Formats: sequence, structure tokens, C-alpha cells
Amino acid sequence: MRPVAILGAGMTKFGRSDSTLADLMSEASVAALRDATMGNRSVDAVVVANMGAARINRQTAIASALVDRLNLFPAAAETVENGPASGASAVKVGVQAIAAGMADIVLVTGVEKMRAVNNLEATDFVASLSHPEAEYVYGVTLPSLAGMFARLYMSRYGLTRRHLAMVSIKNHANAMRNPYAHIHQEITMEGILDAPEARVNNPPIAEPLHLYDCCPVSDGAASLVLASLDVVQHLDRPDSVVMIAGIGQATDTHAVHERSEPTELSAVRLAADQAFDRAGVGPGEIDVAELHDAFTVLEIAESEAAGFFPRGEGHVALEQGVTSLGGALPINPSGGLKGRGHPVGATGVAQLVELTWQLRGDAGARQVAGAGNGFACNFGGFGNNVVATVLRSERRDHG
Amino acid sequence: MADQIQGPAIVTGSRCRSCSTVSYPQHALCPVCGHDGFDPVPIAGAGNVLTYTDLYALSLAYAQRYLRLAIVQLDGGLRVTGQLLDPDPQMGKRVKTKIGVIRESEGGKVYGLQFVPVQTSVSDVDPG
Repeated sequence: MRPVAILGAGMTKFGRSDSTLADLMSEASVAALRDATMGNRSVDAVVVANMGAARINRQTAIASALVDRLNLFPAAAETVENGPASGASAVKVGVQAIAAGMADIVLVTGVEKMRAVNNLEATDFVASLSHPEAEYVYGVTLPSLAGMFARLYMSRYGLTRRHLAMVSIKNHANAMRNPYAHIHQEITMEGILDAPEARVNNPPIAEPLHLYDCCPVSDGAASLVLASLDVVQHLDRPDSVVMIAGIGQATDTHAVHERSEPTELSAVRLAADQAFDRAGVGPGEIDVAELHDAFTVLEIAESEAAGFFPRGEGHVALEQGVTSLGGALPINPSGGLKGRGHPVGATGVAQLVELTWQLRGDAGARQVAGAGNGFACNFGGFGNNVVATVLRSERRDHG
Repeated sequence: MADQIQGPAIVTGSRCRSCSTVSYPQHALCPVCGHDGFDPVPIAGAGNVLTYTDLYALSLAYAQRYLRLAIVQLDGGLRVTGQLLDPDPQMGKRVKTKIGVIRESEGGKVYGLQFVPVQTSVSDVDPG
């Protein structure tokens, strides 16, 4: 296997966008290509991550469209659809192509333009990943799976809505420092939980989860340029390079009720274990993490399943500030899905863009000091398909 | 397709012809032993609410304000997801299955699993 480096990273601002799907893909891709110093080398392959363009934008085969927009002929091109884990899956496909020697330089771009439809349609579109006969037909949407998960998890481990609100407040505060984030709104415990107006400001979405426990519906794109280490060594780059140190992936039952313990995110645990094993590091050596907080409770549960905290103690670390910017393990310095936004196909790539910036020291006001190892969890389905990635900053020899 | 169901139906699980495990929803291979032969068995009976939610972020088919959904563990261990018809939902509460209209689409009414409380005294309710 050839080691794979991240040569360039870029993204659009997430939020509600007037740009077309192709414009969003192009903007992020051009940013990543400009960021990459590639000399006269060209892109061998393009992988696009996307979940819903066929349904919500009436557009298919969008990787070919991106090659055309960027004039990258005759690069190979394909689109990866893997639900909300499409982004990290597409990165995995790019890494595999390079590791196998089928490409030297791969552009991976995740994109979703969800605000093209109203919120009901967007919710229904994402709900189509649930089991058609055992879940979806009953009216199940992703928030309902998260609500049922949260009620069970909170009762098992003694969490209250206050703990969930702490995740939201932290991630909103981090997003204030991220110019690419969808949500730039400082929130307080008073405003979303304690004040009488909180009942209006923060209405229920899927009890016990309320509005401020749920990520927004976003448009956006994020992009990485991946390269074989041999290529990087022949290019003029600074003294360190961000490497894809390890990727893991695992699946779980389609219907959530079939899991022997529905609060155990076993696909997160298995994917993380595999990624750590391949990277040769443990969770204790991670300096910064991007977790898939589509719902606040998931940040806490994933932080345990990935091995950062013992089971049932993620909320204690949260309370103690361990996961805040400046804590021992900052989680979601970007603002996470709650603050940065969640254009589903783009999210897994955006997590790795953020980690790349963090490991290079380019994260501005939200920089985690001295970050050397980063971890991302891209959570597809309701935990039935999870991709975990470990990035590492390595010093380069100029021998 | 459930969307095409025009009248009352039963919801069925699959009993493996090799190891007798009942699974739901349907799999092509038994999740326990890998066998590919099954007999349908009706999903019905009593159980306990494992967890539930009041869902306000509804999919397109629903006009009401919210939908009460639950995962119920049936006596015997099989778990199912369905609609909870209980004005006073609690985790652990005894419920029983019934078949009712779970959505109405242009193709007609769709029937599926609903859960209603089993009449018990409060002291019989397992809190958790």
C-alpha cells in the first residue's frame, strides 16, 4: 500500500446558497486545487460524494459534470452515494485508488444542495435511508430515530437535556470562529433551556430532542486533493505534510430495533478501532476530533464508542470542558454538524478539511494548539454505516 | 410494497426453518445461522415499550402536528418499531400490538403495527 497525503483542502461556506450544485462543487474543488501545489502534475481521478442530487436536484452522474466544469479530461470520475457517510466513503475510494497504484493524484469533492427543496421534502429525502417496510412506512425520520435513541441513552446513563444543550452551546460557540459555518449565532443555556421563552425558541423536534439538538439543513461542498507520497516528495511543500494515517469502516443492522443494545454504536466502535489500528495510534494520542453530531446526543455517544471516554462518561468529559476548545480533546472545533451545517454528501469531506487545517496550524481563531493527530467519525444511516479516519501531521525529510 | 396495501393486513416476521429464530424485518439469510428458508409468522402480542418519541419533523405523508413512535420489545424477545397510541407513554410500559392505519397515501390506506396500552394496575408496570 502506498501512503497517501493530503495535498490540498478547500470548501464553500455552508448554509443556504443561490449557487447551483455544479457551482458549489466547482468552488470547493478549485479552492482545494489552488491550495495544492501540484507543479505540472494533473488529476488522475475525481470522486464526488453526494446523497441526493438525483432526487432533490434532478441531476445524475455529477462527477462527470465536475470533470467538465474543471476541464480535468481525461480523468477517471465516479460518484459515491453512501448516505450521510458518502463524504468519508469517497475519500476512502480515492485513498484506495492511490494505494493500489491506479492513480497518483485524486480530487475528492463532497456536495449537497438540500435547500433546493423545502424542509419537509429534505427531511423525507434523508428518511429514505431508513428501513422501508419496518421504519419509514411508519413515519420514521432521522430525528425520530435520534429521539428514541436519546431517550434510551439518557435513561441508561443519567443524562438530562442540560447535557445535550451543552453540546449545542459549545458547537455554536466554535462555529462563531469558523467563517465557513452555516450557523453564526451565539446561544446560551438561558435562551434554549432555562428562560420561559425557551419553550418557543427551542421547540420539540423529536422528544426529548429539541430544535437546538438538531443540525440545520444546509447547502455546501468540501474538497480534498489526495496524492501518493512519492508525488508529494517531488513537489515544493512546507516542512510537514498531512497524511491519511488510517481509515476504518463498519456496518450495523438497517432497522435500529434489531440491534441487541440499540444505544451501543457498534459500527462506530469497530470503524474507530480499525482506523486506530491501521494508523498505529490509540484514542489517547488524538489531539482533535470531528464527530458526526447530526443530533447533540450523538456527539456524546460517539465520543465513547470511538474510545475517547468510558461508556456512559462522555457527558462528564463534556461538563468538565475536556471537549471544549482549549480542553484536552477538543471535539468539533469547526462547530460540527450543529454549527458548520450538514450538507449530507459534503459533511465527511468537510470534517477532513477541518482536520487538515487544524494539523497544518491553519485553523485561525479555532486552532487547537499543537495538533498532530486528528480523528473524524462520519456516521451514515442511523449508525448502520460508519467511516472513521485518522489523520497525522508528519515532518518531511528534505534529503 | 407496503404502499400498495389496500386493506387490513398482518405484519409478519420470518421464522428460520433451520434454527427457528424469528427475525423482523425480512432478511434473505437468517441473521443467526445463515439459512435461506423461512416461514412467515404473524407479529402480534404484548410487550414493553423500550423507547419512544413524539416526532414533529414528519415526512411528507403526515398532516398531523406530531406522531408518537416507539420501539417495543415483545414477549419472547423480538423487537419492532411502530406507532404508539397511548396518551400517557412511559418506558417499560406494557402494551399490545394491533393493526391500524399508519399512513394514508394517494394509493390508499397503509396498515401496520400500532401499540396500545394493556390494561394493568400501576403496580404491574415495569419502570424500566
